[in-house]
Amino acid sequence: MDLLVSVTITTVLIGIVMGAVMVHVAWLTYLERKVLGHMQDRLGPMEVGFHGLLQPIADGLKLFFKEDIIPSGANKIIFTAAPILSLVPALIAFAVIPFTDWGPIADINIAVLYILALSSIGAYGILLGGWASNSKYSLLGGLRSAAQVISYELSLGMSLVGVLLLAGSLSLSKIAEAQAGGFWHWYAIALPAPQIVAFVIYLISAIAETNRLPFDLPEAESELVAGFFTEYSGMRFAFFFMAEYANMVLVSCVGTVLFLGAWHPPFDFLPSGGVWGVGWFLLKVYGLLFIFFWLRATLPRLRYDQLMRLGWKTLVPLALANIVATSVIAYLAR
Amino acid sequence: MAQRISRLFRTIFLVEILRGLGLTLRHLFARPVTLQYPHQKPEVSRRYRGVMSLLRYQDGTEKCVGCGLCEAVCPSNVIKVVSAEQEDTPMKRYAREYWFDLSRCVFCGFCVEACPVDALAMTPNYEYSTVNKRELMLSKETLLGLGDRYFPKQPPKPAFVGSCESDLYLLTVQRKGYPLKGTEHQTPPSEPAISVKPGPSASEQSAP
Repeated sequence: MDLLVSVTITTVLIGIVMGAVMVHVAWLTYLERKVLGHMQDRLGPMEVGFHGLLQPIADGLKLFFKEDIIPSGANKIIFTAAPILSLVPALIAFAVIPFTDWGPIADINIAVLYILALSSIGAYGILLGGWASNSKYSLLGGLRSAAQVISYELSLGMSLVGVLLLAGSLSLSKIAEAQAGGFWHWYAIALPAPQIVAFVIYLISAIAETNRLPFDLPEAESELVAGFFTEYSGMRFAFFFMAEYANMVLVSCVGTVLFLGAWHPPFDFLPSGGVWGVGWFLLKVYGLLFIFFWLRATLPRLRYDQLMRLGWKTLVPLALANIVATSVIAYLAR
Repeated sequence: MAQRISRLFRTIFLVEILRGLGLTLRHLFARPVTLQYPHQKPEVSRRYRGVMSLLRYQDGTEKCVGCGLCEAVCPSNVIKVVSAEQEDTPMKRYAREYWFDLSRCVFCGFCVEACPVDALAMTPNYEYSTVNKRELMLSKETLLGLGDRYFPKQPPKPAFVGSCESDLYLLTVQRKGYPLKGTEHQTPPSEPAISVKPGPSASEQSAP
């Protein structure tokens, strides 16, 4: 009986978090188009609903009713599995994100490792989708994605080590609790070892990891048509699309928890905890997501060799130096 | 040395990227230039060259005299004029048919400039898209209708040649012996030398 109750509660929680994430993902596409539009002195979507607010629903309906095409030369099983393999890891990673002081769905003590592992699995979806399409553009996109993920996962993982050293835990809820009490306790700027360099490295690597501009080489539309999802259409395409945006939300959530004090308000006297905690959390997440859009509107795409040089010759050494400096300072300040 | 240090500083603190970000942020709050087209229409210039149209005089008579200069000057072979003589007024011509192939028009306005009697005008109408290509072949009636719609105020018909006694038109008609029927002016009776001759006598004259 006990088991039944706990399973029911967990299922309901999963439903709530999943639904919330999917809604945010849907309207994130709208927000991105609006922000990009206004940054280019345009208006963005305006036709469906008030100022185009129902655009995601119209887009979803359109994609749902589109013809589902599987190229005759494609490997049918892997071609079908790839979008799922891409979306599912992005969604199940939200199980360990503590949105507020109620804690995450699954409070495991290796949450950071769990997220890093799942983000690596998500790259398989892109890689396999690119290979199974049996098209040169898809294959090139998949190959680029593999190279990019290998290079940037390294700096992404190492940029987190500083925070892990300071918090002394791999559990996201423990890390979040350690940042209570005003914005000067957030790990991005907390004394004695502010992780601001690690935060910038994390942001750059996260953008590269989610294949967003200016690191969108796997789907470089000016050279590779649409990259790894050139051959995809309809709902399969939508799955890849949702996976990309879910990954954006995920890396923003992780960045918020590790560097920006999770659900804690910037000052102690502000209301906190419970629903307020969710509000503060969302505010920070959307701030980070805005940076994603902002960079997309500002920077052109990097060339392949520039991407590799930035990853291996700048970010990885910087992240290593940050780990060394943080450990020394943390040891001395103990 | 100082230059190298400043360059290093710029590289480390991503100065160029931050300046670019500042620019895009400024534009985020700038006024969009978008015109919501089907809901908002652009204000076109008074000299805008849209679909061509045929004009009338105040009394409703067509201005076009069927000279075909528009057809000759048209660079993309849009216009086809079938000229004919007016039945009641000899030597006065008009366009019996006037075809305008809008699907080929480049809106250069040469036809309007070439017209000796100002019978053509470009309307500010640019919304003429259709799903049927044949509808873009405009007839004389359509073009006149367009002219009536966009230029309702037209000048009165000028006192044309032939409207007063003993002008060149009348003298020529009489000399060549064309039948003058249904015109509102009378042959001057006091000049027998150029009296109207009937058709058969004219053919007699030309026959050797």
